Amino acid sequence: MNNDNHLQEAMEKIQALVENMGTVIKGKQPQAEFVITALLAKGHILMEDNPGTGKTVMAKTLASSISGNAEKGGTVFKRIQFTPDLLPMDLLGTNIFDDIKKEFIFKKGPLFCNVLLADEINRASPKVQSALLECMAENQITMGETTYKLENLFFAIATQNPIEMEGTYPLPAAQLDRFFLKIHFGYADDATELAIYKNYLDIQHHLDHIQQVLSLEDILFLQNQAEAVYIHPELITAVRNLVISTRVNPDISLPASTRSGITFLKCLKAFALVKGRQYVTENDFKTLARPVLHHRLIFRTKDAKDKLLEMLLDAELNRLNKLAIQAEPA
Amino acid sequence: MKIGRIHKVNKVIAQSILLGLPTMALVGWFIYTGNNYYSILENNFISQTIYFSVGLMGAFIFYAYKFRFVTTTIVLALLLSSIYAGIKNIATGEFDAFFASVHFLIFSILFLIGWITGYGFSRSKIYTIFWTLFLCACQMILVSKTSDIKATAIITAFIPVLFYTFYIIYASALIRNAQDSIHGLTWYFSKRITGFFSLLLLLFIALFYLFQPEFKAIEKEWGGGQSNEGEKGGGSSKQQSMTHENEDGSVSNNNSMSLGGTLGKNKKLVFVAHLDNFFPDSITPNPLYFTSDYYTKFDTAIQAFEIDSLMPDNDLFKPNPSKIPLYFAKTDTSVITHSMASLDRQVVNAEVYKVLLSPDVFIAPATAFFCQPIGVPPEFKEQYKSAYRAKMWVSRLNSAYFIYNPAGNQALEDFQEERFQQLRSITNYNHIDKNFLSYYTSMPSNSDYDSIRILAREITAHAQSPIDKIIAIRDYFLSKDEFGQPLFAYADNAGIPGLPSASKLNYFLFSSHKGYCAYYAGATLFMLRALGIPSRVSAGFITINRSNKNPGWYWFYEDQAHAWVQVFFPGYGWLDFDTTIPDVNTIQSPQPDGTPPLNLQQPYFVADGKIISVDTLHKMINLAVNKLLFHDENFTSSIPVNVKLNIALASISRDTGIVTIQSLKENMHITAASYAESLKNILAQKGDSMASVIKKIIQPVPVDEIKIIDDVMQKNQKQQSNQEEKSFNKRQLIKILGVLALLLVLLILFFPFIIWFFFDMQARTAPPGNRKAFLINRSLHFYFNQFGYSRRGMSPYEFALSIDRQFGTKIITFSDLYQKMKYSNQESTLEENEWLRPFYESTKKIMKEKFSLSKRINAFLKLNRTFLFFKNIKTIHYE
Repeated sequence: MNNDNHLQEAMEKIQALVENMGTVIKGKQPQAEFVITALLAKGHILMEDNPGTGKTVMAKTLASSISGNAEKGGTVFKRIQFTPDLLPMDLLGTNIFDDIKKEFIFKKGPLFCNVLLADEINRASPKVQSALLECMAENQITMGETTYKLENLFFAIATQNPIEMEGTYPLPAAQLDRFFLKIHFGYADDATELAIYKNYLDIQHHLDHIQQVLSLEDILFLQNQAEAVYIHPELITAVRNLVISTRVNPDISLPASTRSGITFLKCLKAFALVKGRQYVTENDFKTLARPVLHHRLIFRTKDAKDKLLEMLLDAELNRLNKLAIQAEPA
Repeated sequence: MKIGRIHKVNKVIAQSILLGLPTMALVGWFIYTGNNYYSILENNFISQTIYFSVGLMGAFIFYAYKFRFVTTTIVLALLLSSIYAGIKNIATGEFDAFFASVHFLIFSILFLIGWITGYGFSRSKIYTIFWTLFLCACQMILVSKTSDIKATAIITAFIPVLFYTFYIIYASALIRNAQDSIHGLTWYFSKRITGFFSLLLLLFIALFYLFQPEFKAIEKEWGGGQSNEGEKGGGSSKQQSMTHENEDGSVSNNNSMSLGGTLGKNKKLVFVAHLDNFFPDSITPNPLYFTSDYYTKFDTAIQAFEIDSLMPDNDLFKPNPSKIPLYFAKTDTSVITHSMASLDRQVVNAEVYKVLLSPDVFIAPATAFFCQPIGVPPEFKEQYKSAYRAKMWVSRLNSAYFIYNPAGNQALEDFQEERFQQLRSITNYNHIDKNFLSYYTSMPSNSDYDSIRILAREITAHAQSPIDKIIAIRDYFLSKDEFGQPLFAYADNAGIPGLPSASKLNYFLFSSHKGYCAYYAGATLFMLRALGIPSRVSAGFITINRSNKNPGWYWFYEDQAHAWVQVFFPGYGWLDFDTTIPDVNTIQSPQPDGTPPLNLQQPYFVADGKIISVDTLHKMINLAVNKLLFHDENFTSSIPVNVKLNIALASISRDTGIVTIQSLKENMHITAASYAESLKNILAQKGDSMASVIKKIIQPVPVDEIKIIDDVMQKNQKQQSNQEEKSFNKRQLIKILGVLALLLVLLILFFPFIIWFFFDMQARTAPPGNRKAFLINRSLHFYFNQFGYSRRGMSPYEFALSIDRQFGTKIITFSDLYQKMKYSNQESTLEENEWLRPFYESTKKIMKEKFSLSKRINAFLKLNRTFLFFKNIKTIHYE
């Protein structure tokens, strides 16, 4: 029963968060769910789309919903606008000579926070991008000989414009691999578009007066809850099959790694929780496969890039669909 | 030039062993057979097979490296053709160049075929189909080359090809689809191929057993099973005489016995005869043609002459020797009267020993009137099935030498001239019966026949007497054209039994000038009748004197079947005339003649009657004797007299050959003959009746020969029942096949529905629980798939959403529940389980409302959707 209560509590919190985000940014619930999934899976998320589709607003809304007064248990939110002339030091911080103490002291950069919005990440030079690497993967920053631990909760939301646009530096594969999910934002549908136009003044208003609904402890609690979500052995097999099928396919030059498989499992659990379930389903598998895997793979042809993953996924879904219900695993 | 990935080594090895070796073996066999028929191949099939194999294996290995096919093969073909051109130019002697280049051409063609095949096997999906079709076509050409096409030959020729066809299509697909990742590839292949082979073998055996009766029938029809079993030969002869209404087919027990047609090339011994006819020096044998039938009446329907049993003054004696009890004679002296010949006639004895000749047939030189079946001497029993003695009323003028074309033989010409002189006394037919004359000279008149009439008159313009006219016609066939070449030639054509029709004869006379005996006889007949000379065609056997050691013995082979003309001369009767021009190939049978079956046995006791009882243990039978022949004296009795016979030494035979003692049954009609010396001294007295004679004999009588006589009724019944059974079987088979085909079509048509029915039933009847949820899910998926709503590319939720939006169902709820049941670690609740049933029923109801009956029927006829539903999506693909 304790478990149920926890779930109930977690559910309510997630629900509150989703609703809160919904007040500011309309018609983007699936994207909001993905963002929360990344947060609960202890990962990071990359949002890609054309300018003006609401990426930044989404990130800011999330940040505002969970940040607040640090003393009151709120989280620290920082935002960095990436530009071509940005230097790694601008992110990590610098050693400054203290006149009084006659020594160098470390001035922490914006990375020392709980929620980081890395806006237009692909506008920065590769060296800045790689500076993010360590902190995203290891939750720590090394400056010279000193290693600084980041906060317990470090969640990076990065946005980027499509690679094809001018003045961008494509993210290297290693960098992309650090992002648990990469989602496309897409335009709102016709009705939502109209609704947004009618109340465009409200967006700023809502953003300014957004409520903090989750505390730092709440998020840590939810992250623990996500890890406790049950995943059926068949679905683990399915993840394995999908990952391996990318390896044997000659149209994929860079297949999915083992880490990506683990990431997939983490995201599946988190997503199930976001969806209010204690177990992972085929639907989760299908919904998450592309956001989790697609940006990690390098395809040989454009056709393969567009369709191949779906094909492999469908074969696995087909297998799962025909599978009879197994007896409860001991 | 390279594309894709390289084949694994074990795959190439599998290809070479599983595909390469059988292909090499079959192609080697083909090349071997081909060498027999095509001289260009020069009989070195081993090296030719090696050429092919090198090409095949080379392509296997080469294309394992994923080279492109078109470019490499074009390069290869260009290379070969340039070398070919080079050989042509370089070689010194003209002859050498020819052979070198031809040899090289054969090499290149075989090598390229092997090369393309190797590529096809290793890379193309559909190549095997083309390849096997090509092989079947090759085999057809090869089979058509064989001179005597028999059912067994065809089957033995095609079964390996068919076997190979099935095998290669299966095996190549198996190897192509085998995944490199599979461990234990050898085990995998051997398992599958063994399974496939056993299945194929089973299929062939089943087919063979199922169609064995049909197969045998075909075999008979095609003359494939010319076995020694008398049973079979007799059976076919009965059918023959049935179907051909005693037309020429009855001459033999074999269909191939046409009037000297092509099939007569078969050098099989038909019968052996002893003819007691000698020239006045009583040393030189005087052979006579053996007649079996006369063609007398013109049938306007088929525009040809045919046999007419109602011909005026029928002098044809046609008993059925198998119906006459052994040693009992049948005589018809009315034949002698009907022959209307009083001049130069004598009685000649003949003995005929049958080999292939049907037991029902009586054949003897013209105007026979006596037939007595005799026993075959024991040492010849294996060779000759039955024998009879015949007597005939023969004209001294008749002789094979007389009716032969002399063809330059001076002695023969003199002999003939002497006899022609005798016949020149007959100058007209004024004094014979008008009906007789008009029957034997009748001939329809229309343009076809008028041209024959004109030709006949032209040829015989200078001849006065009938005999001169006949000679003129014979000489016309022997005449030479303006270039000194013979005008007419003997040609073997596949002949239908019976005489050729008028149009064919016209073609023969005026255009082709080529034909076999029936053409010459038919044409002569028309011309003679056109000239008002009574004549008929006689069909039978030409008699050739080959045996110097055994004068009077003649051997008759199948190719001696013949047709010639008989002409009526008042006072002399019907005389044979043969106008067929000589053909060395057909008349000379190369076989040496065998030992004549000299019959020295004298039957002292011949009893004819019904068996009362058989004692197979002591080899005794009790016979109720109706007729008795004792020392050539005939005794008959209205009351059958019982005789005990010892059959321990008897040879028992039927029409069809020797049979065992077990064939003797009660109530059987048999004739028993005894040559026992112990009977020699017992003589019948005058006034003895049958009973008193039998009393004198010590019983049991040792019998040497027993002949079973099948009653006509019995025979007919047997035959009829056989035929009925057969036709019934055929009809039944067709019916069964038809029903099976219909069922198959129905099954295929209703396949989706049957599956739906099964799924639905399972889903409905399953007890509530996880299993039921699964079954409902499967059933619904199948149902929607059949209507074109496939889950392909959608998650269960997305699929359910699309369905719900369209039809207002509640699949989403179900889908979520199902996912929970399937993947959660929680037990499903009672309410959830209870909810499943009404949900399923209501969903089906909604769907029924949404789709009209016609739409549903239409949906359930879509087979392709069903197949797609069950098809697994391939995850791993190459290239």
